[in-house]
Amino acid sequence: MIKVGVILGIALLCSFLSVARGESYTPGQKVLKDFDSFAQSFLANHCVDCHGESEPEGNLSLHDLGPVDEVNAAIWRSVWAQVTLKEMPPKEMDQPNVIERLQFSDGIVGELTHVMSDKGGFHDHLDPNKGNYVDHDLLFGSLPDGIKLIPTSSPARIWRLTPQEHITRLNELINTEPEYDPEKPGLRTHGDVVPTNHGGELKLYFGTDRIIKWQGGTVAYATAVKSLPAVLSSARAHGLENYPDFYTVNSAEATQILDVADDIIRYMAYGPLSIAQPYQITDDPNSIADKMKGDIRGLPTSLVYSTKIVRPLTPVYDLMQAEGVGDHLLRAAVDDLFEALTFRPPTNQESDDYLVIVKQSIEKLGKEEGATLGLSAIFLDRDALFRPELVETGQPDSFGRIMLQDWELGLAINHALRYIKPDEELRAAIIEGRMRTRDDVKREVVRMLADDSIRKPRILRFFRDYFDYDLGGYICKDSKALSETGVSNRGQSHYNAMFDATASTDRLIELILRDDKDVLRQLLTTDKVVATKDDNVYFGKRRSKAETAASVAAAKKAAEEMALIEAAELEAWLKANPGKEPPKPQKKKQETVNHNITEADLSGPDIYARVSRRSFGNGSMKPERILATVPESQRLGILTHPSWLVSHSDAMDNHAILRGRWIRERLLGGGIPDVPITVDAMLPDEPQNTLRERMRVTKETYCWTCHQKMDPLGLPFEMFNHAGLYRETELDKPVDTTGEIIDSGDPAIDGAVANAIEMIEKLAESKRVEQVFIRHAFRFWMGRNETLNDAPVLQNAYQAYKESGGSMNALLTSLLTSDAFLYRTKP
Amino acid sequence: MGAGAAFGLPLFPERLLASSTSNTTPKRIVFFMQNQGFDPDTCIPEGMKRSSSLATAKLPEPISALEPYKERLHIINGLHGLHTSPSHSAFFGALGGYRGSDGVPPSASTIDYELSKVLPPTLLPHLCIGMDSIENMTTKPTIATLSASGAGQPIFMHSNPNHLYQMLFGGISTGDIRRQHEARSNVLNQIEELAASKGRFLPTADQQRYGQFVEGFKEVNGLRDRLGTVADHLRKFAPPVDARYTNPEFETDWHDVLLELGISSLTSGITNTLTIGSGRGEIFGAWKGLGIEQQGHNLGHMEQPGNPIWIKIRQYNCRMLVRIMEALESVPEGSGTMMDHTLIVYTSNNADKQHTSGANWPVMLLGNFDGTFKTGCFTQLDGKRPLNSLYATILQAAGVSCDYFNMDEKLARKFDTGVGPIKELLV
Repeated sequence: MIKVGVILGIALLCSFLSVARGESYTPGQKVLKDFDSFAQSFLANHCVDCHGESEPEGNLSLHDLGPVDEVNAAIWRSVWAQVTLKEMPPKEMDQPNVIERLQFSDGIVGELTHVMSDKGGFHDHLDPNKGNYVDHDLLFGSLPDGIKLIPTSSPARIWRLTPQEHITRLNELINTEPEYDPEKPGLRTHGDVVPTNHGGELKLYFGTDRIIKWQGGTVAYATAVKSLPAVLSSARAHGLENYPDFYTVNSAEATQILDVADDIIRYMAYGPLSIAQPYQITDDPNSIADKMKGDIRGLPTSLVYSTKIVRPLTPVYDLMQAEGVGDHLLRAAVDDLFEALTFRPPTNQESDDYLVIVKQSIEKLGKEEGATLGLSAIFLDRDALFRPELVETGQPDSFGRIMLQDWELGLAINHALRYIKPDEELRAAIIEGRMRTRDDVKREVVRMLADDSIRKPRILRFFRDYFDYDLGGYICKDSKALSETGVSNRGQSHYNAMFDATASTDRLIELILRDDKDVLRQLLTTDKVVATKDDNVYFGKRRSKAETAASVAAAKKAAEEMALIEAAELEAWLKANPGKEPPKPQKKKQETVNHNITEADLSGPDIYARVSRRSFGNGSMKPERILATVPESQRLGILTHPSWLVSHSDAMDNHAILRGRWIRERLLGGGIPDVPITVDAMLPDEPQNTLRERMRVTKETYCWTCHQKMDPLGLPFEMFNHAGLYRETELDKPVDTTGEIIDSGDPAIDGAVANAIEMIEKLAESKRVEQVFIRHAFRFWMGRNETLNDAPVLQNAYQAYKESGGSMNALLTSLLTSDAFLYRTKP
Repeated sequence: MGAGAAFGLPLFPERLLASSTSNTTPKRIVFFMQNQGFDPDTCIPEGMKRSSSLATAKLPEPISALEPYKERLHIINGLHGLHTSPSHSAFFGALGGYRGSDGVPPSASTIDYELSKVLPPTLLPHLCIGMDSIENMTTKPTIATLSASGAGQPIFMHSNPNHLYQMLFGGISTGDIRRQHEARSNVLNQIEELAASKGRFLPTADQQRYGQFVEGFKEVNGLRDRLGTVADHLRKFAPPVDARYTNPEFETDWHDVLLELGISSLTSGITNTLTIGSGRGEIFGAWKGLGIEQQGHNLGHMEQPGNPIWIKIRQYNCRMLVRIMEALESVPEGSGTMMDHTLIVYTSNNADKQHTSGANWPVMLLGNFDGTFKTGCFTQLDGKRPLNSLYATILQAAGVSCDYFNMDEKLARKFDTGVGPIKELLV
């Protein structure tokens, strides 16, 4: 492998030297050449030898491909991917020089974008999952002659809120979350995201902070309490989920938001009285016992609310409480609600517009109904659902870039870290004109990062998107296959354990971020785990068949010995008490021993994880955790935690391909072309064979070109079963955990590995892996893929990270004060 | 208003009238989901073990109201929903054919939504209504537990008939409902204007995406306008608004008027897909108006066969089914009536009983969906085909070929011994 790397290096150097003389290339600028003739000559020089008219490789002829059009768009798309990723021409063939390749790639994107503009568009190059298509060595190495970068910026745009952001924003209107407690830093507090509930659903809950009693059990509570599911949709589960150009708000969502608004405004005005009878509000539930008679489980009338008002009391409350409808009360309610929903004060025009709507509605329906309906309109303001970065007022620099400023800049910074509106200091800075320069940004970013009481859920969101450890509870497991892993398959217990595991991993990441040293390496190699009791099972070991049998036999023997002892004791008692009736033996508690596993012995100090408010009665998620150490030599870092492992599994088994793909893309920065439509991507159904054995089908030449990038990186995780338990055997044979890092781009780490732990140790040492992490952070915070023009930003960010000893805060400060973050260009 | 409604593309008012001149057969579908399970012994005629005709059989007491409609009825026993893990309720999984539970978001779209997309378009492609205790319907007038348009995209159902009436028939309403309709129309028109004005100077790439947001309001407002233009037509179908709307004595008053609104939306041609959640997909619900004092969870703990309470609830359901059929039969369509082109799927969101593995999921079909489904018979399946295969069958009958609905091949290998439609059900 090292040899190949060296040869590649030399080849690269040669191609650098052979850059077309006198020709310069600027990323992002339209190729001036006539693309059709350029492309034809490129194909003729580099492709048609193998993909010619007769017996073409892969049954693909390119000799008569012709200019890009809607008929051959799919082939051109594939050509673009192969050439951009340097899969083609094959390594042993003559290579186009760097600029030629970049121009060819850019040209295809330009043509496809044009041709497909009214057919859904061409977006591959903008997709975060294809961000790695930009050559890593060009981004972090020195550029060959002829490539000229221009100062970078991001496009002017609007950015739709995510479902989490939206629910958290709405939650601020009706619930008061506890203030940050430095003594219990893990507890969910004001500014944290509203987490998903016991079943993994994102919901807004009404009045749960005041419910002091309810009738019935878990489900009865869940049915009785008022909750609303997230309305905005999110179509992506894996990877970076939220680029600005992903989503809009459709008509069904908009109309549902109007209904949600009605419920929220009523709760803002009347609190639990908007959903309960007056008698239900008392601090002495016994005093209303007569009204709570009979089976009222599941009804809203089965709840008792305390009398203490805990929701925020805002001008909407003042308006509804006051007699009449004075203009100043109306305007205060409009302005306050507008800022609560858009995070900025309304302009005079906006304030007037909404005031008119509210007044007209009141005129029609009276105060209560009219004000509620009229104020609901604000929930559908553009800026309540989309965050604009439009730079409508600034002056462009010589490169046509305009720097964000004032509210747009302040809200961009706020959004980089937070889901709730700017705190007072940031708000004051914006209003006082102190949000206009790079230093202004740095001042606020550094301040916010240094203050733990300012919760920063968006940083955690990045790690969820990057690692994808939060999907385990959504992977539907086959009941029998789950039971074979050794964990309980009763009811929802596994799924609940997975949602708990997500919250635990969140917390572990926060602890690593708190130390802020060598963050990525720590994430990959920590020996710590934030654990619930269930984790003794999930971090345990699945016993082999022989071990299980031995455990059963030992238990049986122990029971027999105990019976003998008890019989002897009884005999002795009868001897000592002749003629008397012996006391009845005490009923023994049936011990449930899971012979299939050796539990981990996790212990450590008590800590907390952020979980949802009570959503399922006594079955709701609990925040209590411990900070423990993982079993040595069995686990290393969060890629070996069940939260990540199960998130990368399927109903029946591990998903070695998905795991391998994750390593290839998120750590090594490699790209995997889309599966060709001709591939029937199914493993054989052979329950008698291991996953590794069944994956033999991917070794066929046609498949292996891509699968060698994934499979050997995913198979080392076969040391765990698909519930994340450590194992040494599979199907009664020693489990094969070997794998290989092939052609990683960092020759030092290429080579065979014995298992996942050895592989992770190697990866954690790699500079390239750190740089790929930086690339993902860039994408998340810029909301777009990097281009070559972003090379200086990425290099600065990497340098900041390295020089600070692996500080996430330093990395963030660098990214958020970069041109890519601060400047916008209008198309 | 508008929750539970996915709005279709702007259409000409003619489309609204289920016209016999239309080139496409205006099929329609109704899903009626009773909660707490559907015990097969409450619907299969006594002694009937094998697939056979219902012609000479006597329907059990709980479904006796369907006796006169036997020739339209198809009782199916032996589908399964093991993979939906119903236990208390499969929630979205009942219509989606995937794992569901309390608090679990939908993992894909549900069959009712998918059908609403493939059936000939109507002004309102899909309407969901939910029946529950009066307390739940008033404090939570919209809720989403059964239908979804995609992963994590629940569709809300309506439970307040006043709101629903306003949405469907606001244009021809009078009094309070009229005033609310006008006020709401005014607000929505202004929201559309404001939304449009804030989209004028967006970058080109964003204009299209933001345009969909603005277009959404145009659709909502356009629907209202179009409903307004066919007011005379709607008047023929709109139910009268009476005291049951504003002053219900029992929850069943609201159940009844919600049903009437659902029926009107079908007969008037406003929609062609109606989902009814009796008990709203959860494990509670109340039917005090039927003289059933107990409510909620205890109803599910009772054995259903021979139980006077469950006989009442099931009979009430069946009377509702009869009302739907009678109404659809009264509207001529093509060479027959609307009912000739309709399929009603009656089942539970919770298989056969409250605490269930989902090994058996009884279903009753009413109507033949324009001659595609067998009727007048009982079909006993072998328990090896999932609920999903019934949905694939309906999709096929609606013109969309489907091997497995919401089931990848890997899962299908485990949970479905067949492929595509259930042949025993089709003509």
